Amino acid sequence: MNQLLPMDMDPILRTYIVFIGSLLAFGGLVLTVLGSIIKRNVASIWKTYWGWLIMIPTLFITLWFGREAIIIGIWLLSMFGFKEFARATGLYRDWWYTGAVYMGITGLTVVTILPDPRHGVDGWYGMFMAMPVYVIGLLLTIPIIRNKSEGQLQRVSLAIVGFIYMGWMFGHLGYLVNAEHFYGYVLYLVFAVELNDISAFTFGKLFGKTKLRSEVSPNKTLEGSLGAVAVSMVLPWLMHFSFPHFGTADLLLTGAIVGVGGQMGDLTISFIKRDLGVKDMGAAIPGHGGILDRIDSLIFVAPLFFHMIRWFHDL
Amino acid sequence: MSMNEWDYEPAADLELSLRERLREFPREPHLWMYALRVLAALLQRAWLKLYHRLEICGAERLPVGQSFVIVANHQSHLDAPSLAAAIPMKWLHRAFPAAAADYFFKSTPKSAFYSVVFNALPFERKSKGAQSLAVCRELLQNKGNILIIFPEGTRGTSDEVDRFRSGIGRLVEGTDVPVVPCNLQGAAQAFPKGAALPRPRKLVLHIGEPKSYGNMSPGWDTVEYIANDLRKIVAALGKAKV
Repeated sequence: MNQLLPMDMDPILRTYIVFIGSLLAFGGLVLTVLGSIIKRNVASIWKTYWGWLIMIPTLFITLWFGREAIIIGIWLLSMFGFKEFARATGLYRDWWYTGAVYMGITGLTVVTILPDPRHGVDGWYGMFMAMPVYVIGLLLTIPIIRNKSEGQLQRVSLAIVGFIYMGWMFGHLGYLVNAEHFYGYVLYLVFAVELNDISAFTFGKLFGKTKLRSEVSPNKTLEGSLGAVAVSMVLPWLMHFSFPHFGTADLLLTGAIVGVGGQMGDLTISFIKRDLGVKDMGAAIPGHGGILDRIDSLIFVAPLFFHMIRWFHDL
Repeated sequence: MSMNEWDYEPAADLELSLRERLREFPREPHLWMYALRVLAALLQRAWLKLYHRLEICGAERLPVGQSFVIVANHQSHLDAPSLAAAIPMKWLHRAFPAAAADYFFKSTPKSAFYSVVFNALPFERKSKGAQSLAVCRELLQNKGNILIIFPEGTRGTSDEVDRFRSGIGRLVEGTDVPVVPCNLQGAAQAFPKGAALPRPRKLVLHIGEPKSYGNMSPGWDTVEYIANDLRKIVAALGKAKV
């Protein structure tokens, strides 16, 4: 597999492609064996597996294309993620607010790509971080321009949550592309967050007894959650090649951010869904639900990880 | 302290896949879809005006603002865009040509194209016709909706207006919903069935006086009468001087 990849490919990206590609092939093999020999019904797992079979190559191809492609990919995920949120809350019926948030998310993408006008480096950091000021200002202007008050506070609030969460917080993942070691960062985050999800599920199935948050997500257990934190705390050491410049403190923090933050992101979308009374945020990915159901943990983790790196290492 | 609950209203088709959503009717409003439709409508109208020199007679007779039905002869794929071009752009997203589900909604790309560009309403003409009629009836109960129907059921090959199917009668019997008979001339020459591309022939659209059949007692005779009556008016409009 390694020989099939282009020679000039980033070595960390290359390692991840070989590693995750092997995992995917192994998973397919296990499913085939389970399905044919043990005669267990694995149809729904196959559907989820096919979802991965589409998502993973898309991710790798986008990463291989490089900086602009990745930023545009994150822009699309943000736009569709916000769209799902708007459709689930009903905000999408009001095009003023949805339009303004779409513009805000696009603005974030533009300043992520542009160089800083003062320092000349890739990515206009100051404007990216200040973007919420301008977008919230714009959203608050809408009721005034329309000369409307009834129901406007709800719409402004939903639009602000949508922009800050699906746009700005998630947008940090795109901004991370301007970092020196971005392949390692982005690949590690995506992999670690997924492993965190899978660990919580597996430990929950094996040892789960105590409900974690009964009113938010009744299927999650405390045992599953602790197991996931444990796995996530160990993982940075196993994948140290992703960020060879990280010291012990960085590795510890990375583990904690993914372990705790990932589950917070999951529970955030859970409580939103429960309040809205919907099962999934959409049906964009067969076998996985909506885009937000898939990227929920990543949204919460991305900005925390980003600011940890910036604090200790600069980008 | 107590607070009132917020009133959320999730999209009705939230958990449906794109494929299912495109076949659903009524469709949920969609920002990008509307934007694309406006663009498509502008292009269509420009094309019809410049390439086919479309002439519209009697556009002022359309009772825009209330709900109504447009019935017309059907000779080509230019019919629905030409009728839509007579309706002011403001009502673009409220005008729905009923389109055969077995043809226009057969595949996902087709469904996407006809629902975005033409705002087509998937009509089951083979089975479940009653269900589709019920959807149309409900549509007409909301003020401002426009339903475009070709009661011949399929594209005709001659200049004669074929027999009207009973569906139009069943739709409007016992209601005061106005029906506007229209006749488009030249479409059979401009874009005959089987042709790959339209030819630059002139199109003339005659819009008749709105009629309603609310005063007639519902029943099979009325249904037949309505279909025949409208067919006669549509055919007569076609004989008018160009």
